[in-house]
Amino acid sequence: MLSKLGGALLAILGASIIAFVFMRLLPGDPSRLIAGPLATPEAIEATRQALGLSDPIIVQYAKYISNFLTGDWGFSFSAGESVSTLIGARLPATIELGIYAFVGSFLAAVFFALAATYRQRPVVDGSVRAVSFFGLGVPPFWFAIMLLVVFFERLPWFPGPEGRLSPGVEPPPSVTGLYTVDALIAGEFGTFVNALHHLVLPSIALGLAVFAYLVRLLRANLLEVAREPFLVVARSKGIRRWRVFSRHALPNAFLPTLTASGLLLAQLIAGSVLIEKVFNWPGVGTLVVDSILRQDFAVVQAFILLAAMAYVVINLVVDVLYGVVDPRVRIGSKAE
Amino acid sequence: MHDPALSFAVGVLGILVFLAVFGPLLWRKSPLLPDLGASLQPPSRAHPMGTDDVGRDIFARFNEGAQISLAVGAIVVLAGAVVGGAIGLIAGVTGSWPDTVLMRILDAILAFPPLILAMAVTVGLGAGAVTASVGIIITTIPYYARLLRSDVLKLRSQLFVEAAAAIGASPRRILLRHIAPHTMPTLLIQSAAVFGYAILTLAALGFVGLGVQVPTPEWGTMITDGLNYALTGQWWISLFPGIGVLAAVVAASIIADRARDILDPRGQYTFV
Repeated sequence: MLSKLGGALLAILGASIIAFVFMRLLPGDPSRLIAGPLATPEAIEATRQALGLSDPIIVQYAKYISNFLTGDWGFSFSAGESVSTLIGARLPATIELGIYAFVGSFLAAVFFALAATYRQRPVVDGSVRAVSFFGLGVPPFWFAIMLLVVFFERLPWFPGPEGRLSPGVEPPPSVTGLYTVDALIAGEFGTFVNALHHLVLPSIALGLAVFAYLVRLLRANLLEVAREPFLVVARSKGIRRWRVFSRHALPNAFLPTLTASGLLLAQLIAGSVLIEKVFNWPGVGTLVVDSILRQDFAVVQAFILLAAMAYVVINLVVDVLYGVVDPRVRIGSKAE
Repeated sequence: MHDPALSFAVGVLGILVFLAVFGPLLWRKSPLLPDLGASLQPPSRAHPMGTDDVGRDIFARFNEGAQISLAVGAIVVLAGAVVGGAIGLIAGVTGSWPDTVLMRILDAILAFPPLILAMAVTVGLGAGAVTASVGIIITTIPYYARLLRSDVLKLRSQLFVEAAAAIGASPRRILLRHIAPHTMPTLLIQSAAVFGYAILTLAALGFVGLGVQVPTPEWGTMITDGLNYALTGQWWISLFPGIGVLAAVVAASIIADRARDILDPRGQYTFV
């Protein structure tokens, strides 16, 4: 337990060094960028001093870390705001999209994994496997564009790339920042439907890879569990086939998917960077892509370190949780 | 051996390789020269994949894009396997503190979602095909290293290795002649998967503006080019390069999947 925590801390420390090296040491002189192309050498030198770029590297790194930990993630010169304000304002949009994408793909994955393995019909199983290959191989941003071409441009079923709500629809009073939840709290049913309608295509585009990964994992686990003797025992005691499947096989097949949570979060983080822009979704992903295009690297830097921390934390939580859920892991680690 | 999925995958990769190698020789339209009189034309006999916003032939650009994607995929696989493999072998054979230090460094790399680290590297080193490849290579190293390390740990206690040591073979000879050859299946399976991952990631970096730079045709940036036109009816600009990425990645992952089933069904691979 303690060693896991220590390992996670070391990983974050190492990650911050990598981020520092690539984001702070290697790029061109940021003081020249900030001071502008017409600045005199004295002005550039003054900016260098102000930014602390003439300090020793160790001091710069220490400042970088302490600033990050105290929530000072730098200043975005293109937006004229602090990075923490910018990211904070856009996080709810990304989180709402991520939640819908995850829940949707999880439910779909359970359904299709069951369909593929229950009774083991080759046609169903084959198509589910084909879809999972497609989902893991397709570039998410391209899939997003194609969704828009088919379901917005050709068939007018869903709204186009206009963000979270139709133009003219006022966002609900902010409580959680999630429009669907806030709209329900405020009792604005029309806004709720509108927000939900706008979430459909982006969630599918973002969730596809997660779905593909989960369905493959669940299918393989279900097939493995299906060979276990305790299922034969349950069947021979006269328990119905479906009940054996849902009560005995499924929970055991879920267990290993827990370890994949970190990978799934990585998919969601990377996916949001890639698909939000296509839908003009006003989230962190769009902010990051726009900042790259404007060479506004303060935002990108903060995002990269935040993504690494979120990733390490979820992996640590999963590690600990796994021991709680599965006694074999707990006892196994003690025996070592 | 009858395996339709595998034949399909090999066939698709074969077609892409053919287009990359012979496409520019057989289809002599320029992938770079604009022809404003012929802009935004739908697929036709003259332009099988249509033309883009400045009238460049998309089929010609598709073939060039195949060259770049397949080349980057191959380079990433080679570099990742050599560097990651060497780290894994060294860590597994030496053990003790070099092993611990190496594994800690790899943990730091694994602390990033792969695409995000590749982005960080390209932002730091400047966007471009070479830096994008370097970024992608760095993200693949830990996966190779960990796999090879655990292979070495398993092999070290095998009887034939002990026997080699008993008849006086040097540690170097044991490593190169007795241990390394047995890690080949692992390397092959992971490499097939990494090949697809590299192509997908290169396209993603291109899409956000950190990959291959304009005007060089690359599938990811070509998809970005079509973004603004897809919703006004010109779907073909984005469609075809996306199909290229999809075909290459799916083919690679089918091959990786089958290779694992045949060579090492219980292995713990990433991206397979």
